[in-house]
Amino acid sequence: MEVNWSIIFDFLPQLMAGAKMTIYITVFGLVGGMVLGAIAGLMRSHGGPVLNTIAFIYIEVIRGTPIVVQVMFLYFAMPVLAGLRIDPLTTAILAIIINAGAYIAEIVRGAVLSISKGLTEAGLALGLPAWKVLVYIVGPLAFRRLIPPLGNQFIVSLKDTSLFIVIGVGELTRTGQEIMAANFRAVEIWTAVAVIYLLMTGTLSLMLRIVEKRMRIL
Amino acid sequence: MEGIIQFRNVSKHFDALKVLDEVDLTISRGEVVVLIGPSGSGKSTLLRCINGLEAITGGDLVVDGISVLEGKARLRTIRQEAGMVFQQFNLFPQFTALENVAFGPRKVRGASRSEARDQAMALLEKVGLAERANHYPSELSGGQQQRVAIARALAIKPKVMLFDEPTSALDPELKQEVLNVMRQLAEEGMTMVVVTHEMSFARQVGTRLIFMEHGKITVDGNPREVIANPPNERLKDFLRHVE
Repeated sequence: MEVNWSIIFDFLPQLMAGAKMTIYITVFGLVGGMVLGAIAGLMRSHGGPVLNTIAFIYIEVIRGTPIVVQVMFLYFAMPVLAGLRIDPLTTAILAIIINAGAYIAEIVRGAVLSISKGLTEAGLALGLPAWKVLVYIVGPLAFRRLIPPLGNQFIVSLKDTSLFIVIGVGELTRTGQEIMAANFRAVEIWTAVAVIYLLMTGTLSLMLRIVEKRMRIL
Repeated sequence: MEGIIQFRNVSKHFDALKVLDEVDLTISRGEVVVLIGPSGSGKSTLLRCINGLEAITGGDLVVDGISVLEGKARLRTIRQEAGMVFQQFNLFPQFTALENVAFGPRKVRGASRSEARDQAMALLEKVGLAERANHYPSELSGGQQQRVAIARALAIKPKVMLFDEPTSALDPELKQEVLNVMRQLAEEGMTMVVVTHEMSFARQVGTRLIFMEHGKITVDGNPREVIANPPNERLKDFLRHVE
């Protein structure tokens, strides 16, 4: 079979629909992951022993198991264990939230702890309650240090959506696989899929670089 | 007269380590107390207990009628009565000098933006840095940063000022500008507790000198007299090393 690049254009609408699904899962997953990660990260850095331990266990369990296993567990084990049956798309978003949340928690914790203890003390010494010190002083400073590692996690999570192929979510990789199964155009289709991923991660990188530049990193 | 700061049998342990050993100390309004001692003697800890940055583990400590044991909300009131200046300045790097000074009144006292700003400007003027108001800490020398930090602490209108080795991180030529501001404060009648190794400051500005060893106060007296005739060998030895 000869390589024929022009066939890519025939399948472009289909691939774009897949890419849209990838973006959809990534965006909702990461928004949720950031919320969960911020909470778990602050539980680690500021929580008492109980909250700290809960967050620690969550992070270790998620970081210590492959994301494919987590997806399988959510999709196939939860219905048995808890009678909870969720559709593939919701499972996919949930998996990204839970998985990215654990890594983002560590990023948040690291960023918060990297802010000198002296600044917290200076805030407390003025008579501010601890939460105000976090909101007005430590938080904004930590946020700037968060951006580079957070960008990294965004890219990882975007690519992780490709493994939802295992539960049949019609994201980009799955779409490529389906087209392939019909016409065996491996070179053209997988090249196209790879390029589309690169465009998405490239755009993410670019956006992050702009945000980073706009903020004075202290 | 009742003291504004009263240590009553105060102890402080870090796990098994005893840093303050049943300290009794009363400081009255208007006193300029200079705390000296070898490293690890507990002088910084003593200072940091006053505004609750270190929690005491025994006894009681009363500041302006409030015990540090009365709970978080009351502790914040103490902190508003006792401004603190740190060895490492600890200015908020994301704020300008003016914003650093206006921050406390805005967020603690609930002052309006313009009120906090005017007051901050007046305080920067007082420490001689009005023309640096819009500079960020990273654009200021160490001495200038420390003067901004003093203005920041004064902005919440404290009754006592606590200084934790305020000049130790500064080059010799920058120390003087900070010491001058402190001297001016003392002359205005501010109650001050100063941990320092600047013996000339102790002699000229201090009204009381306290020497600490192993978590205990072993010498407490008039700075000029105590420095001229150290009543204990350890202090004599210590003075030889710092001067």
